Amino acid sequence: MSFLQKKTAVRWLSTLVAFTAVAIMLFPIYSIIVASFESTVTLFSTNFHFFPYHPTLANYKTVVLGTQSGPAGSVTTTGSQLGNVLTSLEIALGTTLLTLVISVPAAYALAKYRMRTTIFFIGALLLAQIVPSIVLATSLFAILLKVHLVNTLPGVIIADGTYAVPFGILVLRAFMFSLPNELMHSARVDGASEWQTFRMIVIPLARSAIVTVAVFAFLAGWGDFIFALTTLNGASFEPITLGIYSFLGNYQANWGAVMAAGVVALVPASVLLVIAQRYIATGLTAGAVKG
Amino acid sequence: MSWQTIQGTVNSQDGGVSPAPPRIDAPAAQQPAGRRGPFSGLSGSRQQQLAGWLFLAPAILYVLFAFATPIVYNVVLSFEHDSLSTIGSISAPWAGLSNYTAMFNDPIAKSAIVHTLIFTVGSLVGQFIIGLSLALLFSTRFPGRTVARSLVIVPWLVPLIVTGVMFRFMFQQEGGAINQVLVGTGLVHNPVDWLGTTNYALLTVTIANIWLGVPFFTLLLYSALQEVPAEVKEAAMIDGASAWQRLRLVTIPIILPVIEITVLLGFVFTVKVFDLVIGMTGGGPANATQLISTWSYALGFQQFNFGEAAALNNVLLVAALVCSPLYLFLSRDQLRRSSGAAR
Repeated sequence: MSFLQKKTAVRWLSTLVAFTAVAIMLFPIYSIIVASFESTVTLFSTNFHFFPYHPTLANYKTVVLGTQSGPAGSVTTTGSQLGNVLTSLEIALGTTLLTLVISVPAAYALAKYRMRTTIFFIGALLLAQIVPSIVLATSLFAILLKVHLVNTLPGVIIADGTYAVPFGILVLRAFMFSLPNELMHSARVDGASEWQTFRMIVIPLARSAIVTVAVFAFLAGWGDFIFALTTLNGASFEPITLGIYSFLGNYQANWGAVMAAGVVALVPASVLLVIAQRYIATGLTAGAVKG
Repeated sequence: MSWQTIQGTVNSQDGGVSPAPPRIDAPAAQQPAGRRGPFSGLSGSRQQQLAGWLFLAPAILYVLFAFATPIVYNVVLSFEHDSLSTIGSISAPWAGLSNYTAMFNDPIAKSAIVHTLIFTVGSLVGQFIIGLSLALLFSTRFPGRTVARSLVIVPWLVPLIVTGVMFRFMFQQEGGAINQVLVGTGLVHNPVDWLGTTNYALLTVTIANIWLGVPFFTLLLYSALQEVPAEVKEAAMIDGASAWQRLRLVTIPIILPVIEITVLLGFVFTVKVFDLVIGMTGGGPANATQLISTWSYALGFQQFNFGEAAALNNVLLVAALVCSPLYLFLSRDQLRRSSGAAR
């Protein structure tokens, strides 16, 4: 075998190893997708089927319509995830909006205005990213109770902002710092106000970083479980993450419904991965904080 | 480094006590080219100062409401006897240190601290070894590497509670994919009760968490490896260094700063893991996978013993913040930039 042939062989071997690793990494996701199409009987048998055994849409029907129980005449339907998907969307979009409204101007101030407090504020944000969510959740529950925001959408959105706001400010600030000052100067020389400069020069230039932060805030709000669990425990609505948790049950999981709801919960992330992959990779390397 | 840079740095080291350096009010257009100090000309009028504060105001209010107040309130709670009826009021009975003594006499709380330690160290070791291996693999040229690299980040995008149920399903004793493969290949004779026995449960949730953290480690270490100059590796190769020596003596020392910050962030993520364990085991069996975070939740929101929950939270907070000086030190570039130093 010549040197060149050997090199090519090594490369294809690398491909083989890499895709085996990727397959192992993705297998758990594959397994719930397969399981979501299995019948309850198959799911509770002693065999796991690596390929759909008797594919059925029954689990998705449960997720959409819920399960009916109770005596004839007063049948109650529980567990439909349609409303929950809507709630999750509202929380995710609310978290995105809150994060952007707070972090875009703050990042600009910290990047381009000389303030003595800048270094303290950035230090505080770095530390804020460290604080475990359960620490915040316990006392945020008490505080939100005091201001009557427990079991409300604004309450859970404020709590979910803790995932994304410090990250958003730090990422956006690093980006805005690299914008040339001349652009802002010329806007001012042309008579633009501070607000106009911010809105018409800075925001359009920082668009890609803003998208990165928006994607992360959305995923944080969509995937949040801990703040929904603690601040919405008496609410008439719940996000899909709590819906999945209810399907798990105390003693026996309703695997079919869990799997189908889990797949539904994967949809936004998959869509974003396809349309915004570049921004996701950027955000991850910027030191994204999750959980 | 321009003079403004030096002044900015000096100013920050003084903690802002010294008089502010002279400001440049001249528009940048009149400055010589190349003098692009980060704040030149932007700090002029009082109107601009005011604008800066207004831009920052929402963030300050939010950080005070959603971070500062809860952290302070958590300390207050840990010295009070709180129940569900008093948690919403300010005047709960004073408890002194009793929540802390209760916590340190609580065998489950103590074991939760030990579990958190084992879980964290185990996760970090696994994530680092697998993440670095994948990062090294993706740094070589092979067909399909872009696709492989972008697929590897997918696990990171799964909502954590879904990750939890995924692994709970895979590690079932009956009908779980893991046991099926192990029995099928003859590695074990009888299906292992991964999540039902106290011996294996903590190991199993650690494995799931390693899976969760590998994308993060891979991506960060991969981008660091791209910065290692090819000439350095070639020079080591010409000097006859083996692949292992090149990795240990050349590559790793160069990417060490990134390794440090990645492991540190990994530590911070891992001590606060909650959803994953709740989804997989709920802390069971017999509290074998109870972590500080999950036990604090059970104490507070299931037993309504908010005082002891807050005390345990403070242990977790201290554990997370212990590394904060190191974290700030490793983030010094970002902090230095904040005082106007050259990038």
